[in-house]
Amino acid sequence: MLSYVVAGLALGAIYAIAAASLVVTHVSSGVFNFAFGAMAFAVARFYYFLYVEHGWPLPLAAVVAIGLFGPGLGVLLYAVLFRHLRLRSPLVRIVATIGLSVALPPLVNLVLGQLVNVTAPGLAPQPVAVFRPFGTVVDMNQLIIYAALSVVLVVGTGLLRYTDTGLKVRALVDSEALTAMSGVSPTRVSLGVWAFSALLAGLAGVLVAPTAGLSVDGMTFLMAAAFAAVVAARLRNLPTAVAVALAMGVVTSVIQRYLDADSALSAQIVPSVPFLFMLVFLIAHALRGRAGDAPAGGALDRAIRAEAAGAPTATNRSGFVAPLVTLGVVACLPLVLDDFWTGLTGTGIALATALLSCTLVTGEGGMIWLCQITFAGFGALLAADLTANSGWPPLAAVLVSALCVVPVGVALGLLTIRLGNLYVALVTLTFGLLAQNLVFLRDRFYNSGQGIYMPRPEWALDNRTFALLALAVFAVLGLFVVNLRRSTAGLAVTAVRWSEAGSRTLGLGIVPVKVLVSAVATFVAAVGGGFLALAYQSALPDSFNPFTGLVWLAVLVTVGARPVVGALVAGVAFAVLPSVFQTYLPTRWAEVPVILFGFGAVMLARNPEGIIAMHARQLRDLSRWRQSRREPAIAQGDLA
Amino acid sequence: MTVTAPPLLAVRDLTVRYGAAHALRDVTFDVPPNSALAVLGPNGAGKSTLARALSGLVPPVAGTVVFEGRDVTGSTPDAIRRAGLVHLPEGRGVFPSLTVMENLRMATACDRRRRAAAVDRAFEIFPALRERQRQAAGTLSGGEQQMLSLARALMVDPRLVIADELSLGLAPKMVDVVFESLRRARAAGVAVLMIEQFASRALGFADHCLVLQRGRIAWSGGTDEAGPELLSRYLGDATAA
Repeated sequence: MLSYVVAGLALGAIYAIAAASLVVTHVSSGVFNFAFGAMAFAVARFYYFLYVEHGWPLPLAAVVAIGLFGPGLGVLLYAVLFRHLRLRSPLVRIVATIGLSVALPPLVNLVLGQLVNVTAPGLAPQPVAVFRPFGTVVDMNQLIIYAALSVVLVVGTGLLRYTDTGLKVRALVDSEALTAMSGVSPTRVSLGVWAFSALLAGLAGVLVAPTAGLSVDGMTFLMAAAFAAVVAARLRNLPTAVAVALAMGVVTSVIQRYLDADSALSAQIVPSVPFLFMLVFLIAHALRGRAGDAPAGGALDRAIRAEAAGAPTATNRSGFVAPLVTLGVVACLPLVLDDFWTGLTGTGIALATALLSCTLVTGEGGMIWLCQITFAGFGALLAADLTANSGWPPLAAVLVSALCVVPVGVALGLLTIRLGNLYVALVTLTFGLLAQNLVFLRDRFYNSGQGIYMPRPEWALDNRTFALLALAVFAVLGLFVVNLRRSTAGLAVTAVRWSEAGSRTLGLGIVPVKVLVSAVATFVAAVGGGFLALAYQSALPDSFNPFTGLVWLAVLVTVGARPVVGALVAGVAFAVLPSVFQTYLPTRWAEVPVILFGFGAVMLARNPEGIIAMHARQLRDLSRWRQSRREPAIAQGDLA
Repeated sequence: MTVTAPPLLAVRDLTVRYGAAHALRDVTFDVPPNSALAVLGPNGAGKSTLARALSGLVPPVAGTVVFEGRDVTGSTPDAIRRAGLVHLPEGRGVFPSLTVMENLRMATACDRRRRAAAVDRAFEIFPALRERQRQAAGTLSGGEQQMLSLARALMVDPRLVIADELSLGLAPKMVDVVFESLRRARAAGVAVLMIEQFASRALGFADHCLVLQRGRIAWSGGTDEAGPELLSRYLGDATAA
């Protein structure tokens, strides 16, 4: 028993370091760092580069990687990204850091080389010394982890409580405007906070590498687990975050004592423990009505922010030429391209349908759901199951299974209705990870990674016909979305998006509107998932990983989360671009599109509308400029 | 012939916009050293926006602000504060989760050498704060919070204090304390820019007066010229009282 606790405390200590760092940056700069895992990976990879690949002495490598490279990375990211985020909308704040988490790891791999073997040493000298106190086993790595947490807690508490620097950080949490008016630069304080947070991220990454492996997935999973402790702490309370993190680690470890280590159930339950923790705390907070958006800063900060934001500009929806042209171009692709590229285009169009659900729920409804990919996965698996095991015709199976998934989405929508934006994002991501662990990885669906065979309809077996079929479905659903937008129901959705209180005073029910959005979005996502399965001719659980869903969202928001054709462009780009790079460029460049997608989302921090909207505006500005140049000329002509 | 000293604060054509809406338009005035200016106006006239623009919290779209001969237009609030302009914002200008003592430490964060003396002075001006120094500022009464806010300004020898609706929501006795401490600050050579919705006390305190209406200066002049009929014309009978 004791040995389970010892191992659990080590895991919990790493969670605690991560959770502490997330809480401190969130309360002091208003940014919830979804890129924490990516930053941890970057530092751990750099440490590996110095220590293992270049044979630096361990202490020197550790100091340079964790003590210099980590904070340096934090400072750099603050300067180019986090600094711009404080005043942005919650959606942009979340998506920009997600973009960073998408772009950073492949960038690191591109520079330092892809690792084949993910086992990495920790901070203990090799071979790792092992001690046996009280009949249990503790190794040097675990001792170092305990020591690291103790040092972080003592130094962190000391800094925050008793120094002027800590005082400034706490003042910044209370009110940025007042801090500035006390003669303290909030920028410099935030810079320090991000440097420290990056140092902790690096420390957590290096410490977790020996057990979780030096891989992006391992690190991202670590971060997602730490989210649970952060949610338990209601995003603010540091001691609670640390305590819950430690408890989570111990529970994860002790539970293994009672489970058969080789059973499939154990393989599903153990990684789900943090997410079950999060679910319990979320429901508790939501029931007590304490999971709304915490107001950032003081009254003065809110006053300035509201004034700076001004009124939202009306979105211009007049143009229909550009969408039709885009649709036409995509329709021509299957007719002119060869079979390989046509297949990819078909996949892209199927994906576009799934992305259309993000357009609906995020772009239209303003709800930041990170689990559209999970609904797509449900739709795909259910449709494939009906087709392969019950002999249904494929298209009917897609339609019926999409209808079956709708209640899940509605239930999630009702559950999250009273939660703040950030909580909604975290809940939906957790839901996705739970579904991944508990449903998608079941042998019945997973099938050692092959998924379930999903035949296409007999008249659409070749890629060209299938691509056109998928495009037709996309066009129908897209038209439906456009019509929904113009309908009274669509107006209600927009009204609720901009002001819930205002909509209530008009007598609009928030619940029916949100249920409508989540039902339609879930249906569209599931249809998209079904078509993805048709495109691959198999429902592959691995392709519906929630972390891939983050990339989906990054691509979509980069292109533009509101225009319907945005989903089409994003879907085709997501499916086709990587192959373009793989085919025509050296293999090490294969990850470049992912980096570009990520950076596209990062750039939202500066241009919150997305690329399409930005270019449309630039074109309009250009034509207005040309008109304004012509007008004086005409006026002069009149005079003459 | 007297040589007029250069103004402590010179504002020229200051314009502030929130989106498409003009909050301030072409506001021009001077504050001479060691003087007091009352800025009056009805709700939404742009008084608080003026204060925020002067202290750097909201960026002006046009115009200049020169403080002690230095152009501070577009400077950050912390730089303007270090130059000696202290803005006491509307509402309670304290850090609610920090203790009274920590609030006073924050006020002196940019000049740590004279911190001990400054804190002593704060307790001298407002002895009530000494007893509460370990209490979180958010748990103080409204009057005590306003004292703390004022103390944060008066303990550090500023050149100019902008006091935005300091008497709002205070008991009459506390209002007396606020005006008394501002009077003492003036006696020590501090210039005061006072924003008030209730005009008569402000006029009794200041030497010059500026009436804002819909973001523009509607009237300006010495407080002795600002008779009751002028005020009721611009501010309405209720506020002029």
